[in-house]
Amino acid sequence: MKLSLPENQKLRFLRWFDFRSWRVGMLAYILNRVTAIGLVVYLYLHLVVLSILTGGPTQWDPFVALARSPFFLALDVILLAGILIHGLNGVRVTLTGVGVGVGAQKTLFAALMLVGAVLLLAGAWKIFMG
Amino acid sequence: MQNPKRSTLGWFWQAVTGALLLLLLGVHFIAHHFIAAGGLRDFNQVIAYLGNPIIIALELAFLVAVTIHAMLGARSILFDLGLSAQWERRVTRGLTVVGVITVLYGIWLIYAILGANSAVAFWAR
Repeated sequence: MKLSLPENQKLRFLRWFDFRSWRVGMLAYILNRVTAIGLVVYLYLHLVVLSILTGGPTQWDPFVALARSPFFLALDVILLAGILIHGLNGVRVTLTGVGVGVGAQKTLFAALMLVGAVLLLAGAWKIFMG
Repeated sequence: MQNPKRSTLGWFWQAVTGALLLLLLGVHFIAHHFIAAGGLRDFNQVIAYLGNPIIIALELAFLVAVTIHAMLGARSILFDLGLSAQWERRVTRGLTVVGVITVLYGIWLIYAILGANSAVAFWAR
């Protein structure tokens, strides 16, 4: 089967990898897409991991002990970073989509990423320090 | 080429489920990673947590919202490849099937987890 890819539309996807177009708007767009792909992969990994629960405590509890190790906690911090970047960027996209802050998109993006950085630091502290 | 009306509808549902997820994912993440001692519940704590019907309703709402959001997002990314109208329809249908299977799997998983607990309780008697 043949995929029809008109030249002008092919470029739309390839622009993700063109560093010359990485201005704030494009960076926000790429971050949103990259975190989206990561979160979808995580969603299915999460659902597969949760299936261990069907084996009862003999299977789940040893996994929990492993998941409390620093390596897995670091993965939790990466997950939180992905959620915050994607979620806050999504807030910006929705706001500008309904006409709020259209003229201040870059400022809005910077402010939301700053909020995200603060929440990430607080979350990482909570994840590692309990 | 993407139908503009469908594209707007997709964007609308993406925004609605995104707003819901801010709330539901927040509850999910805080309940599982910040409130549970050690950052994750052991089996008995999971069963106690799922013993509350409100929690099951919230988790199911979370699953439905995250699946719709993820499938619409995947659709949007795939459409960025510049697919023909025929392939766009195939992608939409394919992702709809994947989404339905995902939700059904999640429902089965909750049922199976609670079932596993019944089996453990039965053998512990």
